[in-house]
Amino acid sequence: MTATVTTAPRRRGVLTRKALLPWVFLAPGLLLALVFKFVPMGKGIWLSFFEVRPFLGDKWVGLDNYTRVLTDHRFQEAIGNTLLLGIGMSLGAIVVGFFLALLLEGQARSLKIVRTAVFLPVVTATAVVGELWRLMYYPTSDGLMNSALGFLGLGPVPFLDNPDTALWATMVMGIWMTAPYNMVILLAGLAGVDRTLYEAAAMDGVSLRQRLRYVTLPALRPALAIVLTLAAIRGLRVFTEVYVLTGGGPAGSTEVWMTRAYTLGFTRNDIGGASAASVVLLCVTLLLTVTVNYFRKRGDVR
Amino acid sequence: MDMNGVCVPMGDVRRGRRLAATLAAAALLFGTAACGADSDSADSGDPNALEVWTRSNPDSAATYDRVFAAFTKKTGIKIDYQPVVNFDQQLQSRASTKDLPDVMINDTALMGSYQHQGLLKPIDPASISGHGQIDAKTWSSTVGLDGRHYGIPYSRQAMTLMVRKDWREKLGLPQPKTWQDMLTLAKAFATRDPDGDGKKDTYGMVVPGSAQNGYVAWWGASYLWQGGAKIIEPDGKGGYRPVMDSAAAVRTVSWMKDNLFCGDKNVVQPGALTAVTSTATNFQDGNAGMNLTGPYNIVTFDGTLGKDKFEVLPAPAGPAGSDALAEGENVYFGAKTGKDKQEKALAAFLVSPEGQKLAMTGKNQPVVRIPVNTTLDAAKVHDDPRWSVVQKAYREASEQFPNAPDLAPIKQDTADSLNALFTYCGSDVGAGLQELDDTLAGDLKDQDLMP
Repeated sequence: MTATVTTAPRRRGVLTRKALLPWVFLAPGLLLALVFKFVPMGKGIWLSFFEVRPFLGDKWVGLDNYTRVLTDHRFQEAIGNTLLLGIGMSLGAIVVGFFLALLLEGQARSLKIVRTAVFLPVVTATAVVGELWRLMYYPTSDGLMNSALGFLGLGPVPFLDNPDTALWATMVMGIWMTAPYNMVILLAGLAGVDRTLYEAAAMDGVSLRQRLRYVTLPALRPALAIVLTLAAIRGLRVFTEVYVLTGGGPAGSTEVWMTRAYTLGFTRNDIGGASAASVVLLCVTLLLTVTVNYFRKRGDVR
Repeated sequence: MDMNGVCVPMGDVRRGRRLAATLAAAALLFGTAACGADSDSADSGDPNALEVWTRSNPDSAATYDRVFAAFTKKTGIKIDYQPVVNFDQQLQSRASTKDLPDVMINDTALMGSYQHQGLLKPIDPASISGHGQIDAKTWSSTVGLDGRHYGIPYSRQAMTLMVRKDWREKLGLPQPKTWQDMLTLAKAFATRDPDGDGKKDTYGMVVPGSAQNGYVAWWGASYLWQGGAKIIEPDGKGGYRPVMDSAAAVRTVSWMKDNLFCGDKNVVQPGALTAVTSTATNFQDGNAGMNLTGPYNIVTFDGTLGKDKFEVLPAPAGPAGSDALAEGENVYFGAKTGKDKQEKALAAFLVSPEGQKLAMTGKNQPVVRIPVNTTLDAAKVHDDPRWSVVQKAYREASEQFPNAPDLAPIKQDTADSLNALFTYCGSDVGAGLQELDDTLAGDLKDQDLMP
């Protein structure tokens, strides 16, 4: 620090360079994010105020697209399905992920192999998973699910072709796909639980349920908070699962917000309306995330 | 914070169309700017070169390559050929640069939509040499809302019924001529073990019954025409009106619902209500007996089933006749491209006997199915007598979707409604179609085609 005065001019140069360096390293990533995320996002929001006519020139329509989307009965019908699917999938994936984490916690080699196997659905392309489950849900005894039911003397059940079961069948696939991701986060949380607490609990002779309730779950709070935040962000934007499995059918019984927006944009060529629908979803998701974060922080303070 | 509402699946996807669709969905959320046509090579500077787009996979693109090479050799006009798989997304992004391809070859059903967007140049049929070799009915399918032509017919086809000949003969049943014959045959295929394996694992017919991309409307259109129904019709004052609440429509849709979807089990394949053509593979898998579909499948079925196993028959007649759905491709000229002479020369070559023949033959997938040039005979050029059934169906008993209006919303709404009616067996067909009629009226009003 003593040399500060004498080398000040040079030092300033170093400082600027030092300050610049992180940005230089960040630049490629930022540039990519800018070009592929933020600019298109801005453009999407911009387009939502226009009747999009690429060749004839876009026509400003103000909030027309929004009123049209929000008053369209098919979008309104999709809200219920989106909420049910989003909440069901998120909670289901957290519960299943939690139990998977409890089951597969540990250092044994065999556990590592099982953990890897369980994690596979997360890294598999959704379209591939969807195709797989379409085959498993095949409505005759040739399908895996129905041949299993056949052993029990049940079925065959037309999982995807019955409007009463299609949404639930989609939900099960969604849980299967996302639960292992939650498992990994919760496993990390479990590894951080103070072992002595378990020992103390064992000394006190608590039951398994009490141990979960008073030791494991409180210790998992931070991990659960992350999982919940991710669920809030992802829950409502469900698309690919539905698109590959049922395409929104039968009779619109699995139509969700994003499949509706897709149809509007690409089947009906109404890019403005589809952009408006996407912006609405963005706002709701943003609101949801902020809310979850607020409650999380309040909980942390307490 | 992640804005995009979808995750993009990568990796091996068997159904390329589906991947494309998913990617397209991502593109939507990334804004339309994200998809850019890779057309830097399009040399719009060369006045003697045409940029031509077709919606083709590499196999059919190879056929087009040969056609265009022959054209260049003959006329000296160069072709910058771009086969595009996700045609419409790419076209939208090109449209936003106000520089369209000179010539496009794509579905007939898109004409209204393109014209609505101002993408097309009107065409005077008389200015295309050899225009007289295309019949009046075919020409009439390219008339736009303002009475002018917006496309040049290039390839046509009609739906025909593919039937498992071996199964039918084994059960001793005749070729189906009417809906009732077809239903009887379907029930026999479903219950009388035509494949002789002792198991009840066969189905009467294959139906792509999903509303996705309007599939069920595409498949059901033939039945509607045969039942005397239409979806929309001209109102005689330059506009259109919806007619899905007609008695004929109610009767037809009721027949389909009661007999195909809510009647005896296995008349249609299981899972039909969520099936699209790429997932409804029961016919080529050898467990469904009939398939009402386009002739491009003949080659596929020859490969998977074998030529001797199935026959190509005219669609069975309903109460109002045996008209099947006709469709095909048109040659479109991009608006404001300024290469009229070259474009017309290319169109004339494409519809000439030479151009059509080249597109129907060769080792790659043919891109012309039924020639629009009436001097040609499909069966002779394809060297396959089964094509005469398709040609006869197209020329004598077929009807296209009305493609002057923007058809996409109309087809999609019809598909949504049909899929719902077929799903809920207790549904009231009359009420459902009345609701559809109102929705269609809304679509037509959006296009200023209804007062």
